[in-house]
Amino acid sequence: MSDTVLVVGGGPAGLEAARAVAEMGSKAILLERRAVLGGTPDESSYAALTPRMGSAQDALDLLRAGVEDPNVEIHLETQLTACSGSVGDFTVTLDGPSGATTASVGAIVVATGFQHFDPGRETQMYGYYEYPDVITLPDAEKMLSQHRFVRPSTGEPPRNVAFIQCVGSRDRRLGNEYCSKVCCGVASKEAIEIRRLLPDAKVYIFYIDMRMYGYWENEIYWPAQEQYNVNYIRGIVTEIVAKDGRLLMKGEDTTMGRPLEVLMDVIVLSVGMEPSRGTRDVAGILGVDQNKYGFVATPGEPMDPVGTSVPGIFVAGAAAGPKDLEDTMSMAGAAAMRALRAIRGQARAEVGAAR
Amino acid sequence: MTLEARYADVPLETKQALFDEVKADRRFKDYLYGCYECGICVAACPSARFYDFSPRKIAQAASREDLPMFFEQLNDDIWNCSQCFSCTRCPRGNNPGGLITIMREVSINNGLTSAKQALEGYGRVVYKIMSTGTQVSPDMLQPNAFPDWGPHVQEISDNLALWRRALPPDTMHTTSTAWEVDDKTLTELYLIWHMTGVLDMIKGVDSGLHMILNDVMEELLEEAGYSAG
Amino acid sequence: MPIPLTVLDTRRDARDERGPASPPTEDVRERVFELEAQGEWLVQRVPEPWIGVTTKYGRTKKIPIARTWHHKSCGQCGHIPGYSTSIFWLIRKLGLDYSDPKDQTSCTAWNYYASATSNQGAQAAVAMRNFGAAYESGYFPMIHCGTSYGHYKEVREELVHSADLRDEVRRICDKLGKPFVMPEEIVHYSEWVYAMRDEFAKRRVLDLSSIDVTVHPACHYHKLVVEDAIYDPDVYGGQRTAVVSAVVTALGANVKDYSTWFDCCGFGFRHILVQRDFTRSFATLRKIDVMREEANPDVVLTHDTGCVTTLDQSQFAARAHKPNVGIPVMSEAQFAALAMGAHPYRVAQLHWHNTEYRPLLEKMGIDWRERWREFEDDLERLKKNDKTFLTWEDADV
Repeated sequence: MSDTVLVVGGGPAGLEAARAVAEMGSKAILLERRAVLGGTPDESSYAALTPRMGSAQDALDLLRAGVEDPNVEIHLETQLTACSGSVGDFTVTLDGPSGATTASVGAIVVATGFQHFDPGRETQMYGYYEYPDVITLPDAEKMLSQHRFVRPSTGEPPRNVAFIQCVGSRDRRLGNEYCSKVCCGVASKEAIEIRRLLPDAKVYIFYIDMRMYGYWENEIYWPAQEQYNVNYIRGIVTEIVAKDGRLLMKGEDTTMGRPLEVLMDVIVLSVGMEPSRGTRDVAGILGVDQNKYGFVATPGEPMDPVGTSVPGIFVAGAAAGPKDLEDTMSMAGAAAMRALRAIRGQARAEVGAAR
Repeated sequence: MTLEARYADVPLETKQALFDEVKADRRFKDYLYGCYECGICVAACPSARFYDFSPRKIAQAASREDLPMFFEQLNDDIWNCSQCFSCTRCPRGNNPGGLITIMREVSINNGLTSAKQALEGYGRVVYKIMSTGTQVSPDMLQPNAFPDWGPHVQEISDNLALWRRALPPDTMHTTSTAWEVDDKTLTELYLIWHMTGVLDMIKGVDSGLHMILNDVMEELLEEAGYSAG
Repeated sequence: MPIPLTVLDTRRDARDERGPASPPTEDVRERVFELEAQGEWLVQRVPEPWIGVTTKYGRTKKIPIARTWHHKSCGQCGHIPGYSTSIFWLIRKLGLDYSDPKDQTSCTAWNYYASATSNQGAQAAVAMRNFGAAYESGYFPMIHCGTSYGHYKEVREELVHSADLRDEVRRICDKLGKPFVMPEEIVHYSEWVYAMRDEFAKRRVLDLSSIDVTVHPACHYHKLVVEDAIYDPDVYGGQRTAVVSAVVTALGANVKDYSTWFDCCGFGFRHILVQRDFTRSFATLRKIDVMREEANPDVVLTHDTGCVTTLDQSQFAARAHKPNVGIPVMSEAQFAALAMGAHPYRVAQLHWHNTEYRPLLEKMGIDWRERWREFEDDLERLKKNDKTFLTWEDADV
């Protein structure tokens, strides 16, 4: 029986789970494949967080500070390469800069997160690998975190910017049939940030549906339209081509019922979430079921959002599917609690067990 | 813009029956899933730029089973589609162009006037494909058939027989067919038209054409030892 | 502040780092083989040697080099015979074995898309009859027309997914005495030209470095069954289908882009025959005009019958409205043949084309006056005896 919880992945989910385990007096081993903690928000240089526009960097600093605890053993540039055993008694192999080591843990939290959809794969022709001025949400975040927003081709600020929603999501032809949940909010947030930086720029969002759950409606969507004059046009874009040194996009303005062709300086693709390579690899190593999209399956949902198909192994954050930051933080706490019960011998073996 | 679809005088049962026929086609479930009404099909569609035509509305009407709208489209819109299938960009996997193909077949099978009108002037092409196994032939290059192609067509027409002999591939020394088709091959094609009910379709659309085709096919089929039908 | 233009390179590297995702769609060829194992049909294998090319989601497609059965195109053979002739000429130039069958019908898809005077069963039966004929000959089908190709891809999907349809068509094939065969791959000739482009480049005799080309991709080639079309990371970053464009580059000419690249040509199937104003308006306003305005090319190249016909023939009427048309149009097969020294009249048969092509030939370094004189001599010779024809030997004199 081990008294340690293994947390795989040092992004927001993993950091919060490890911190929670340590706070409750138990030990956590935290693995991260990169050389720094922070996960995707750090790797993709997230600027402001949806919807309150708080600083992503401040949030990450807070999370990192949370694991500076003697109870948390951090392994950077380390990956999980093998696992055997069962709840209460897993033997795991960790492969890091100084070679492979084994450890004995009682429970595991998978927090390996997501990767952004690669727009070169989609069936719409958006030219991400042809035109520098076609960018993705994370490309925009990178610029915004440096308090600038320019056309990559010229270095000059754009006169107009368009967002295209649902790139790589909600698409039967690609197999990513699900909605990535956060892109409507994130695009609107970025639109606000761009309007703040460039008050003369016109910003458009081309959408199929606006997914503004709960308070995102009044905290992001209404201000975007009412205070920042972001133009929402219902109709999705079929292709992007170059014309007159700018980008020509073709869509339909469905509410007006007519095809439209507009020249834009910058077009931002709202790329969705897919399981990260880490999620796919680790799920395979741990033997947890994945759903048809490759995310870690949570068979006990909705009552149990963190239990996997293997007792003693839990999941937090986007490794389980598209999640926003609130979901991730909630899941991390819940996963930590379930992991603690597992190592304290209080967990029942069944999945999705009633509390 | 009127709020009511046209053809209000046609009974709803008629429209329902036609819609049911479209829906019963084997391909329907592969051509229509749900519809986001996102408009990507319209954005890609060439006909949408020139006609008051919308593949999105075709998909929407079919999804909603909006019979008056469907019937109006069946009569007024489906023949504007250029069948290019640019609309297969659809993220739901719908195929509005394909829906239209089914709607056209249903329209013909039910002898709709709009179908007959759409096929007026097209009879000689149907005759060519069904009877010779090639869709267009060199001898169709006549100025009265393609007046807007200019005097060049006259030049071709004047020199046709000679120019066709000046072609190296030896299957192409033909003028009334695109290439030389074996009689046995033609027999097989005629059998396909008979066995799949296509000849019956033609009967409903153009009985004169049907008669001519039947005569042409009968001869060859009898020679080959099949009874037509 | 200048931005270093390594933006696209950085993106491509990041893409490679993340690793390729698995293709999102099933591989229909696996289903084809499964059905063979269940005794549903025979599968005609692609003959060796073949060249592997990459399709949209990174799968490999086998393109046969030789022993091909040529599924001809009505519109090509009927109205643009230089197109078919050039395809055969290219094969013969490489010394490859092929079959030009008389046991072949039209795919009948032009009629189907134009008039719908057919049905799913008939279309599938016509396809399978042709595949059966190819199988009987021992040569592997190669499809000349873009619509035949797209249509046959659809038929394959339908047959794979519907046991009913298979049964119906099998009954018909049995009655016809034809074997019930699905080829391992459905191959378009432009995929073969793409796969063999280096061979053509090696045999090039003209300098095409000053020739600007706009490419028009056929809708039915890449929009029907999207996963089965050639994509190449070196061509448009793998974002647009690579056929034709890659061949133009290999031959040393210049591919110029224009903003209506993805647009249909406006052929319309029925429109070009009975609703002609649409076709000629669309072709000139949305394609030719834009190409002229943005790229000013010497020639438009495409890889489908309907597209060549539409773009070539529509320009005459537009001259009354706008004198700014007049770009010659041909297939990449004719262009490649010319590049390799083929006769513009005996092989490329350009006298059937409508839009003025002679300035292009001059720019390519072809003495069209002399070539026309030669061809006129051929015609004189043929006039004397109406049992005679131009032969392949005559074509290369």
